[in-house]
Amino acid sequence: MGTHRITLTVNRVQEVAEVPSNLTLLDFLRERLALTGTKNGCSTGECGACTVMMNGEPVNSCLVLAVEADGAEILTIEGLAHDGQLDTLQKAFIELTGTQCGFCAPGILISARALLNRNPHPSEAEIRDALRGHLCRCTGYVRIVESIQAAAKAGG
Amino acid sequence: MDEMKHTQKAPYPIGESIPRIDIHAKVTGEAKFTDDLPFGPGLLYGRVLRSPHPHALIKHINVSKALTMPGVRAVVTGADSDEHIGLYLKDRFIFCRERVRFVGDPVAGVVATSEAIADEACRLIDVEYEVLDPVLDPIRGIQPDAPLLHPDLGDYVVADFIQPKPGTNISNHFKVRKGDIEAAWPKCDVIVERSFRVPEVQHVPIETHIAIARVDQNGKITLWSSSQSPFAQRNLISEALGVSQSDIRVIAPYVGGGFGSKAGVSVEGMAVVMARKVPGHPVKMRLTREEEFFCSFVRQGLIAKTRVGATKDGKILAMKTEYYWDAGAYTEYGVNITRASGYSSTGPYNIPNVWADSYCVYTNHPVGGPMRGFGMPEIHWGIEQIMDIVADELGMDKVEFRLKNCLRSGDINVTGMKMHPIGLTECIQKASKAINWGTDEPASAPNKRRGKGLAIMWKAPAMPPNAGSSAWVRLNEDATVSLGIGGQEIGQGTFTVAAQMASAALGVPMDWIRISAPVDTQYSPYEWQTVASRLTWSMGNAIVKAAHNARKQILDIVAKYWDENPEDLDIKDGQVISYKTENSISIENIVVYGLPQPDGAGWQGGPIIGHGNFMPTYVTDLDNETGQGERAVVHYTTGCQAVDLEVNIETGHITILNIASAFDVGKAINPEQVRAQIEGGVGMGASTGILESLQFKDGIPQNISFMDYRIATAVDMPKKVESIIVEVPQDDGPWGARGVGEHPMVPTAPAIANALTAAVGVRILDLPLTPEKVFLALEQKAMTQGKGS
Amino acid sequence: MNLPSPGLPDFDYVSADTSDEVVSLLLKYPNDARLFMGGTDIFLHMRDRLVTPKLLVDVKHLPGMTSIDFDPKSGLRLGAAATLNMIARHQAVVKYYSLLAEAIDAFGMYQLRNRATIGGNLCNASPCADTGPIALVYEASLLAIGPKGERTIPAAEFFLGPGKNALDEGEFLMRIDFPTPPKGCAGRYLKLGRNSAGDLALVSAAVMAYPDESVKSSYSFRLALASVAPTPIRVPAAEAILARDPLTDETIELAANEAEATSRPIDDIRASAHYRKAMVKALTRRGILEVRTMLEKEG
Ligand SMILES: Cc1cc2nc3c(=O)[nH]c(=O)nc-3n(C[C@H](O)[C@H](O)[C@H](O)COP(=O)(O)OP(=O)(O)OC[C@H]3O[C@@H](n4cnc5c(N)ncnc54)[C@H](O)[C@@H]3O)c2cc1C
Repeated sequence: MGTHRITLTVNRVQEVAEVPSNLTLLDFLRERLALTGTKNGCSTGECGACTVMMNGEPVNSCLVLAVEADGAEILTIEGLAHDGQLDTLQKAFIELTGTQCGFCAPGILISARALLNRNPHPSEAEIRDALRGHLCRCTGYVRIVESIQAAAKAGG
Repeated sequence: MDEMKHTQKAPYPIGESIPRIDIHAKVTGEAKFTDDLPFGPGLLYGRVLRSPHPHALIKHINVSKALTMPGVRAVVTGADSDEHIGLYLKDRFIFCRERVRFVGDPVAGVVATSEAIADEACRLIDVEYEVLDPVLDPIRGIQPDAPLLHPDLGDYVVADFIQPKPGTNISNHFKVRKGDIEAAWPKCDVIVERSFRVPEVQHVPIETHIAIARVDQNGKITLWSSSQSPFAQRNLISEALGVSQSDIRVIAPYVGGGFGSKAGVSVEGMAVVMARKVPGHPVKMRLTREEEFFCSFVRQGLIAKTRVGATKDGKILAMKTEYYWDAGAYTEYGVNITRASGYSSTGPYNIPNVWADSYCVYTNHPVGGPMRGFGMPEIHWGIEQIMDIVADELGMDKVEFRLKNCLRSGDINVTGMKMHPIGLTECIQKASKAINWGTDEPASAPNKRRGKGLAIMWKAPAMPPNAGSSAWVRLNEDATVSLGIGGQEIGQGTFTVAAQMASAALGVPMDWIRISAPVDTQYSPYEWQTVASRLTWSMGNAIVKAAHNARKQILDIVAKYWDENPEDLDIKDGQVISYKTENSISIENIVVYGLPQPDGAGWQGGPIIGHGNFMPTYVTDLDNETGQGERAVVHYTTGCQAVDLEVNIETGHITILNIASAFDVGKAINPEQVRAQIEGGVGMGASTGILESLQFKDGIPQNISFMDYRIATAVDMPKKVESIIVEVPQDDGPWGARGVGEHPMVPTAPAIANALTAAVGVRILDLPLTPEKVFLALEQKAMTQGKGS
Repeated sequence: MNLPSPGLPDFDYVSADTSDEVVSLLLKYPNDARLFMGGTDIFLHMRDRLVTPKLLVDVKHLPGMTSIDFDPKSGLRLGAAATLNMIARHQAVVKYYSLLAEAIDAFGMYQLRNRATIGGNLCNASPCADTGPIALVYEASLLAIGPKGERTIPAAEFFLGPGKNALDEGEFLMRIDFPTPPKGCAGRYLKLGRNSAGDLALVSAAVMAYPDESVKSSYSFRLALASVAPTPIRVPAAEAILARDPLTDETIELAANEAEATSRPIDDIRASAHYRKAMVKALTRRGILEVRTMLEKEG
């Protein structure tokens, strides 16, 4: 099995690594970089817990090979807050209880950030649609939707 | 129960919607779940070879190929642990010996340097089976000629309130005989009889089961696990492996969803047995999503046969029920679900004549475990539909019918217990009003039909009579408070509510409270389990006691210092104040260093630790033959859900437009968290009501992926979810609180079914209400009507 | 029962730079090399051990592989590795190929569509693939490159059965060409899942129509279905009815009946054949009704 040298940016920091072909981006982030905020919930692209931003767009990192991320810019939940400032979405989730057990939240926050980036004023239906790749078993999604609405209102 | 006296007054921050204290960590990726912990390069991985047969004898296992695979460190089989394990009925080996009883039963485990190697090596193990006839249905299971799953049932260790029938597949039979059922039927003007079916479903925590075990050279065990019951795991593993409880340490980080599936022992036992073979090395055992669907626990299936009789003025006189629980291969909790469903079999109705038989039946299906509601969603599926049918036969409005028959404070319930104060009637009125009960509203399109329905519920914490809680509070120099609890944060918000209660009971600001987490059996105080919606109530009582204990110590020192009577002092906002002299002093520092005596005559006091415990001491036995007793349970939480929905008659799809819930929580310690629990319960209830079932073919599960086991997403949720809090205080709860974590999913499915009937006139008795099933029922109805005309 | 592995099995990865490289790798390792673009099918199949390639050839970086071009005369040219989100966002797709946009909207979930490609969806040749019926109603053609050079395969001839497509050994899919849609064309893509959105299709129906003076009803229809046969299918008999008779409710009912009769669904854990057949009828009927309304508005 071959390995590959990759250079990528993760949360605004450049990383260089030697990775085997079958290493997923998810495992690369969790095991090589100890960025464990991104979760593994199914390994099949269904639950959305592993969602990260790749070149500005959300992807299921369980279905991306680490070698494919060569040259990419990756943003994970750990990088969502920066310069000591929480993202508007994080603030809204805190205020409105946008999560319970917290396991799906990192992926949802990344997808929500991507949504507000491409559509700063989404309708409730658009928010729900953007969440359809995220399974949450705790909240019934009510407060997740409300948190995203609040963040959009607060200027995204 | 002196600590309950202040049921009436609710000091700050009781009743306040304080934001969750764990949420900052959870939205920044900081929160550590079990799989997030680092273990270094010594970490090994465990994978398990599982039975492909629902029922078979193990003739021979050959592990030699696996053992010689590079990277493999150890292989374990049933030969490596010979004691039974189990919560109420010890009926299971950690790894199978001689017999496998479900597809997924663990046969062997491999420890290797990577998950992939361990997985590959598992596939190299040869197992020779002698396939046996399986039992795939509980009705089949009780027949005298059914294959026996547990020929040794009579030898198993069992809790005294569980009654297995050796020589059969019945692991528990619970009976209720109240009044004179036979004499009652002739007095009934309407009698309705139906049979209901509930399939197995899975909890689907988004974090799958995971445990890491390490056994040191002295045999001491450390287990990191995603667990709802660190203490119960410690105890069960201790009993099964003959290791002292003190020599097992369970550390339980945040849990990524439990819903019952992470109570008791499942993968943890296997991780420990594997780790024993490689002393010093942590061994990680994580279920894949596919395994999660059938290898940990599932909610048991149920066949419920029910008969209800009422007089023409709408009074229910008699109810007879038979429950056949599809308990699966082993019964970690199933035997007690059988019991709880028996003693709750009437639902929250006042019925003078009751007969119930609840059977827990071994089948060659996955292991039935506890799931949110502990049998109540399953039994209310039938109860609340048959009540609607009876009301229909009587021509009575369904709200009126329920108000006429539901339990009220002081009524005698099915087991002969006098009901404590409950606010069920208020729940029914408020929930039904919220959906404009009684007004017909138009559907949104010509191919849609609209209807409204409701369901009520009750549920008691189902647990041994003496399930205990304990807590400590330790004050730090700056007067922040470390709160030690053994209850687990599984998303329900227990850490936040615990902190609120400690803050209120001690008299310090909320943000001074720190939860001593993660729960660690080596340091944390004992807690039976995080199940049964019992923490706010039971652990809450212990926290209040612990806080009062610390408070008393502080007041005593300050009283001496001021030469006052402690009775005149209070702690408010972190200050000790005197109502008499208006003295005041911050508790900072003095809670660790004490206070000096006058004239340099030494110091008094010392680091403050308060402790408290709680255990219900008033739960009585039930008679084995009649199921009658004085107080079978600590209390019941009750509530009502009302649903307004639309059905697409072309496809059978149900869209819930509005679902209103009202639950009597006694006292909402944190109202927004209560609402969050209700919304989550509604979500899970709607999902299991419309979408979910684990499908089997010859005992083999068919839909063990998210692709084919659909759960509700944001687009499937009801358009509107309204949550109403009713507060009729509980006599034995802190500030009157009782639990509400599980309850909101209990009435959801039958409420949807009742609304479906109102919308399109078909009645579906087996869960779930999939579009296909609804469509076929509509088709059937059209055909019979076509014939009739 | 064969449980999937926890992770992806071992393989080698190579990103191809030229078509020749792809073809020669495919010829050199006919059994061991597999192509991939988004990986959203093949990674799952590998975990399930349905395929066990020793070499994965990433073809999405070949020149032109992700390009999207539109020309009013020749139509839409989609690089096989164009992701579904790229396609759905493209102005020409929004404007002229609304059925394609609608199918993408009904497809999986947003973040998956950032990886899933149209070429992968077609090559995977699943009976439930959402872009299958779309390619059929737009009468797309697929440009394959192989040892003998380029070859164009009409969509109608591309799907051979579940997981089977018309590519020969050594061939790969380079581009999908959608001709300019007929003037005044309207369409709907209706997809039925178990839950409200994001499921694989239990049944789906693509209905397209345009004014056509050469037929009696003055509208030509194209109907295609997914998940009700081993491949996506057109329903010529129903199309003929709609061309022949005025677009009354009765005609529509007849056409829907014909679609139901043409379909050959199976029973599986997702749905029974009986339900699927009924849904073919329901979706076809509704699709035609809605398209009729759209056409009437236009006209
Ligand atoms: C969670 C989830 C949800 C999904 N939902 C849907 C859905 O709603 N509707 C739907 O239709 N599908 C769905 N899919 C399936 C899948 O996403 C699509 O089929 C997708 O379009 C495949 O594209 P890809 O680029 O990821 O394919 P890949 O996995 O990269 O490839 C698919 C197949 O095509 C072959 N191949 C790849 N490139 C070429 C080429 N250039 N030439 C020849 N052969 C090639 C590969 O060897 C493989 O056999 C879903 C999948 C997942 C995981």
